[in-house]
Amino acid sequence: MPLIEVNNLVKDYKLNVRKKGLLGSIHSLLVPEYKMKRAVDNISFSINKGEMVGFIGPNGAGKSTTVKMLTGILVPTSGQISIGGLSPHRDRRKNAMRLGVVFGQRTQLWWDLPAIDTFELLRYIYKIPEKIYRQNMNLFNDLLEINEFMSQPVRQLSLGQRMRADIAAALLHNPEIIFFDEPTIGLDVIAKEKVREFIRYINREKGTTMLFTTHDMQDIEKTCRRMIIIDEGTTIYDGTVEHIKESYGTSRTLVADFPEVIHSIDIPGVEVIEEKGRKKWLRFQKDEVQVSNLIYELTQKYGIIDLTVQEPEIEGIIREIYQGGIKIDESLCRVC
Amino acid sequence: MRAYVEFAKKAFQNNIAYRADYVAGVINAIVMIFVNICIWKAIYEDEQTVDGVQFKILITYVVISFLMQCIYAMDEYHIEYKVRSGAIGLDLLKPMSFSGYIFSYNIGILVFRVVMQLIPALIVSIVLFKMYPPFSLSMAIYFLISTILGYLVLYNLNFIVWISSFWFYWTFSLVTIKDAAVMILSGALLPLWFMPQALVDFINLTPFASIYYVPITIYLGQVPMEEIALVMAKQLIWALGLFIAGKLLWKTALKKLVVQGG
Repeated sequence: MPLIEVNNLVKDYKLNVRKKGLLGSIHSLLVPEYKMKRAVDNISFSINKGEMVGFIGPNGAGKSTTVKMLTGILVPTSGQISIGGLSPHRDRRKNAMRLGVVFGQRTQLWWDLPAIDTFELLRYIYKIPEKIYRQNMNLFNDLLEINEFMSQPVRQLSLGQRMRADIAAALLHNPEIIFFDEPTIGLDVIAKEKVREFIRYINREKGTTMLFTTHDMQDIEKTCRRMIIIDEGTTIYDGTVEHIKESYGTSRTLVADFPEVIHSIDIPGVEVIEEKGRKKWLRFQKDEVQVSNLIYELTQKYGIIDLTVQEPEIEGIIREIYQGGIKIDESLCRVC
Repeated sequence: MRAYVEFAKKAFQNNIAYRADYVAGVINAIVMIFVNICIWKAIYEDEQTVDGVQFKILITYVVISFLMQCIYAMDEYHIEYKVRSGAIGLDLLKPMSFSGYIFSYNIGILVFRVVMQLIPALIVSIVLFKMYPPFSLSMAIYFLISTILGYLVLYNLNFIVWISSFWFYWTFSLVTIKDAAVMILSGALLPLWFMPQALVDFINLTPFASIYYVPITIYLGQVPMEEIALVMAKQLIWALGLFIAGKLLWKTALKKLVVQGG
């Protein structure tokens, strides 16, 4: 039985419609008007123990709303959520015991006090036995090097330090499930890599189930196998990262440097998408045009000084999906 | 349980961090007592009694009232801030009772105020204003119990106002109205003896008298022994009633919660 099960989840928000201008705002004050907005529209999925799942989608797609309902701080309009047999909002406190949540954009650490004070407090809130507390603190120090700044007030920490402390704080009680809400936002490349490495390690060693919401596709590619894409409140894709790459990343771009400026290239199935001096970017579909044939033909006709073949980045594919350039096939949903 | 003790400790620690605020608090309490005594002095002029009330009794009333106000002060915008900033989401993600957390947080503030503000202010008041001691030892004990009950009545009333921030987001006006109602109707500023009977009858139907008037009149020995159990039972009923109302409101608030931002 899956650890997390979500069935036909719906969330409506009541929005206060405000009219423009002075008269409009007086009107709104006296006769408030409301509009219903469906933020999450009939989402269903299930996640097994130990899985790492990326939740992606453009801003306002309903990701955060879904995650908030999973943690029990928002009540669904309709539909069911079961986390290990518990309903998150009805058994909020019992559910919270098994959850860890990391927000990249806000901290759960006590702002004016040293980070260690928050850790001590969490120990009592989650009733963590002394032995496990020590073990985890040592582990986090080995992997995240938190001891060097533990006794400084949190407001004096750098973003990277604060994030490391926040992640450690969320994992202190050995939660079964962890939600990461943009865990690497604003971090530099090295700090990002460190965080991702730590996340992978915890998943491997402790079998923790993890859910990410992020806009950084690197986060997903480097940690998750599975991703769920949400747009306008509905699931538009649920499957592996490779699968979406294979299905939609079929175009290739050949960047070729020619000995002289060439005005037009006429090879069927090949399109020039950019040119700069003697350099040209040629796009083709990999199942229509064989790359070895193309290179051969170009060398024969014009001669080539230098060349590279580019695969589309997952980021590019996702961008096209958001913009509506790629319509995901129904059959692709729920492939795993 | 241990976690809640820790919350109270943290609130205490947080308060102690602001030293200037602390000193200002003590001075403020003493100045307020002084100003009020001056006003009453002007009213009494050379009279020994007004409406049959001795001047010295009134002074005692005023001093006790202000000392109580000093320790009854709570963090009125703590919940509002959490609701508006969305930080409440993080609190709800913890396996703890949010209302329990808020209560222990305020207990931390209470302990801070008793230890750090009440004691110096009390010493100064005894020396400077020469108030009466409690009517008798038993009345002193009843006064302490009654003060605790009064605190609970005020706390639960406040909690209802604080929780309303889930609907209004800004509660400044509501808190101000509540404060004014408490100051006037509970007898914190003006003893209920001086009020018209119709108003006193009305006040007796509300929880306000339980907050200040009841404990102070017990201190002064104005409540007959046989009525003490009754007035305290009334305090207890108000504390419980408001507690239950607050709990119900909190349940409704949780259902309608929309975490801001994030």
